[in-house]
Amino acid sequence: MKLQRKVYIAGVGETKFGRHEVDFDVLGRAAALEALRASNIDRPTMVQSAYVGNGTNGMVTGQTVLKDLGMCGHLPIINVESACSAGGMAIHLAVRDVAMGLADVAIGIGCENHTLHMAQGTAFATAMSDIETVHGAVMTGKYAMRAQRYMYETGATAEDLAMITVKNRRHATNNPYAWFKGEISVEEVVRSRVVASPLTLQQCCGIADGAGAIVVCSERMVKKLGIDKPILVAGSVVRSGPYHNRPRDITGDDITEETAAQLYEESGIGPQDVNIVELHDAFTIAELLYYECLGLCPKGEGLKFLRDGNATHGGKCVVSPRGGMLSYGHPIGASGAAQIAASVKQMRNQCPGYQVDPVPRVAMTHVTGGGLSGTEHAACTMHMLVSDW
Amino acid sequence: MSDQKPNKKPEKKPDITFFHPDLLEAPADGRAPYLKGYRCKKCGQLDFPKLSPCPSCWGEEFDVVPLSRQGKLYSFSDNFIGQAGMKTPYSFGYIDLPENLRIFAQLEGEPGSFRCDDDVELTVGPVRDNRDGVPLISYKFRKLNSR
Ligand SMILES: [Zn+2]
Repeated sequence: MKLQRKVYIAGVGETKFGRHEVDFDVLGRAAALEALRASNIDRPTMVQSAYVGNGTNGMVTGQTVLKDLGMCGHLPIINVESACSAGGMAIHLAVRDVAMGLADVAIGIGCENHTLHMAQGTAFATAMSDIETVHGAVMTGKYAMRAQRYMYETGATAEDLAMITVKNRRHATNNPYAWFKGEISVEEVVRSRVVASPLTLQQCCGIADGAGAIVVCSERMVKKLGIDKPILVAGSVVRSGPYHNRPRDITGDDITEETAAQLYEESGIGPQDVNIVELHDAFTIAELLYYECLGLCPKGEGLKFLRDGNATHGGKCVVSPRGGMLSYGHPIGASGAAQIAASVKQMRNQCPGYQVDPVPRVAMTHVTGGGLSGTEHAACTMHMLVSDW
Repeated sequence: MSDQKPNKKPEKKPDITFFHPDLLEAPADGRAPYLKGYRCKKCGQLDFPKLSPCPSCWGEEFDVVPLSRQGKLYSFSDNFIGQAGMKTPYSFGYIDLPENLRIFAQLEGEPGSFRCDDDVELTVGPVRDNRDGVPLISYKFRKLNSR
């Protein structure tokens, strides 16, 4: 869907990610309030629509988040669920409202608390009505199969995959919002316990809690609010995952490739113009494959792209400058929103100690969602953001 | 079971109803089990598992086609952290059949013993416990000639 009028990000908010004693609604409210205040919005009635992404915390999550901010009653609050893509999708819907002229100010929120509600030592699975789930499928194992095949076909090693964790944790070293950060060696990553062969614990994102929120508004409103560093939403795309029950190449990712192609077309911005990317690095292998799927490098050259230092500071495109999911952990409903919040802060030069230099002008975010049998992912949400000052 | 005493709970026995009869045929006469493919009578598309209506043409009539019992292990993983309630480790993989179908299934065999492109064959065995704690029997694959 090409955006029909200009949409800007006015303000963003995010909580620290990690294990929280407070539930999803408190986290979501904190991120929302931060985003609203950063947008110079000083009363609840200015917001005209709200979308709240959440994966697992139950019903009417959005109203639960927003009622204590005085935001229930005058505006529609719509709850959005698409597993790991829920947060990104909530932002997409807020963008749509502004693009279509349904609102001049809308908010998208992603929030999740897993650790208060989930059994320890278990892995995410989808509904028991799913044929793969009945047979034991878990997300870790499904990504591990992609890694297994990639290593078999390319000769990549466990040490190669481990470099992704090492890079992203290093990026996050001084990021106060990240959970797992700082120096870790390739050996430590490889030697950590095997979760789903060939993936070890340090190659999997942690199960975490957190929230992110984004306020979007029209061109007229961004001026009225006096936002001095407006971020243009140059593209916002959501797609659903095609169904297959036939042999296919799982070292590619059809839904990511299709979503990226649509985003590039609609935004008029190509992969070579993108300065930073936050992508769905829930597992090391994913980031490696997505270099290729997103067109950051040619097919088959993901490993070279990484080894040549093109995915880090000083390279062609800094991938996961906030540290990615491998550093933040992955509260499934929150991550898509937090990626955008972190990218906006990079573009506004608000990341002391982990700021990309030169300050990025073009940022892209990518979040997939859901393990549904026969699809690589049930959903994919991507955004293209451009500095407009 | 005829000598069951009224106060004694019947002993739990393995659940012999397969996960879904549309998926797997295990003939009572001892012939080898097979997966059931469904060929759409209207457009000819062959699917597993059964999709009704046919996702290609919405046809609702199908011929049941026994699928090959052997295939190639496209990829796999040995899982040491699994679904809540499932004993670990357990292995699963994608098996590509000559009918141009890919099957997700558990693998029978030791973790660490599988390789991509291994030849594998269909077998039948427990895949998990059901809610009553009795084994749920379904299709699995194992390395060819492993028995
Ligand atoms: Zn048909």
